[in-house]
Amino acid sequence: MHIPDGFLSPSVWSIAWLFSAGGLAYCVKKVREILKDKMVPLMGVMAAFIFAAQMLNFPVAGGTSGHLLGGVLAAVLLGPCAGAIVISCVLVVQCLIFQDGGLTALGANIFNMAFVGTVVGYFLYRVLAKVIGGAKGIMTGAAIASWFSVVLASSVCALELALSGTSPLKIALPAMAGVHTLIGIGEAIVTCLVIGFVLKVRPDLIYNYQEEK
Amino acid sequence: MQHSYIDKYWDLESPVHKIDPRFKIIGCVGFILFAIFTAPTSFLTFASYGLLLAVLIALSKVPLRFILMRCLVIVPFVLMVAMFIPFMKKGQFAGGYSLGSLKLTVTYDGLFIFWNVLIKAFLSIMALTLLISTTKFTQFLKALQRLNIPQVFIMILSFMYRYIFVITDELELMLRAKKARSIGGSRWFHFKTLSNMLGVLFLKSYEKGETVYLAMCSRGYNGDIKTIDEMYIKKSDVAFLIIMFSTLSCIRFFIN
Repeated sequence: MHIPDGFLSPSVWSIAWLFSAGGLAYCVKKVREILKDKMVPLMGVMAAFIFAAQMLNFPVAGGTSGHLLGGVLAAVLLGPCAGAIVISCVLVVQCLIFQDGGLTALGANIFNMAFVGTVVGYFLYRVLAKVIGGAKGIMTGAAIASWFSVVLASSVCALELALSGTSPLKIALPAMAGVHTLIGIGEAIVTCLVIGFVLKVRPDLIYNYQEEK
Repeated sequence: MQHSYIDKYWDLESPVHKIDPRFKIIGCVGFILFAIFTAPTSFLTFASYGLLLAVLIALSKVPLRFILMRCLVIVPFVLMVAMFIPFMKKGQFAGGYSLGSLKLTVTYDGLFIFWNVLIKAFLSIMALTLLISTTKFTQFLKALQRLNIPQVFIMILSFMYRYIFVITDELELMLRAKKARSIGGSRWFHFKTLSNMLGVLFLKSYEKGETVYLAMCSRGYNGDIKTIDEMYIKKSDVAFLIIMFSTLSCIRFFIN
């Protein structure tokens, strides 16, 4: 889902950059209110954690393996704003070090994965966790939300490609969303299990856990 | 443990390595913008950009093979766009094939779109790889800060960069321990173990973050971080930027 340079038209990537930069500025302001001067070290280490977590390969059907994207995982553990910052940092480093995603397309990649994937995914999780309630609610909510976040982010990615005239929407959207419905299943299982583990060991680290209970 | 994949060739000695990171960043971004705003039909322009990059790569002594390997990351995306070409219905007919009742046609417009994204992505990735592999990452971040990227992000990124190695080490140790203790097992077992491992890794990282914060506090940290800046603009840096941009503009306006 990391769009390289050249795949997006200038109007699409510049607007996406504007949205992402504005969104990130807002998130930094919000997180700083909560964490104060603790923000920088904690966000840095958490970004390194998500980066490392993405390197871990999980066995998927037929000998292939997939890896975690971690958007909803980060948001459930750290909250939506901190989650968006962490995922954006991971995307920046991936773009710079592995050339995974282009420099001009970075705004769009941040928009897709850190805002559509993480923030929208988080609100879905919140609603589900509230409706179902309890530890079960948190786990089911996280699983369903992470599946949706992957599918949603890939759909927005297809939409951006179509707006840029790189691929026709009628084909790109079902293809991208279709592939990611499968990828999303792995994401959902892993997110659910990791959250389950943290719930057992350090439930206080789940963002807004008291409220959820 | 091995972590050499991050800024692997930064310690080579070459004229490209010596350029001030700020000027390299501006040059690289300029190059990418020039490449992106080129009309897809100007083949000669793309070839000249490629030549310019090839000269820089040769000067930098970074193995060409390494840079070309890095370019492979665009393959999935390119394949995806290639898949969609037959569905572009507009434009002149270039050829076709039929799969049973499904008739697919390839138009010149479709092929042009494909060529367009392929060459631009390829050139941009090469430029970015060259920039990163000739610059130390910490220097690179410092340069970004001097270029007015908000300090919060630079600080988070430099913390992240520092702890990527620590946390990856942690993960590698756990993976090795798992490998040493488990043979076979169902897929579900692996899913469960790996997920628990991520959970443990999260707790360790979180606690590490808090410890680091406390250690910083005890040393007088109060929210802003001061770093020593020792970046001086040399004549050669300015010359590099002038040459880079004049070459780019010459290619843009006089070739084709």
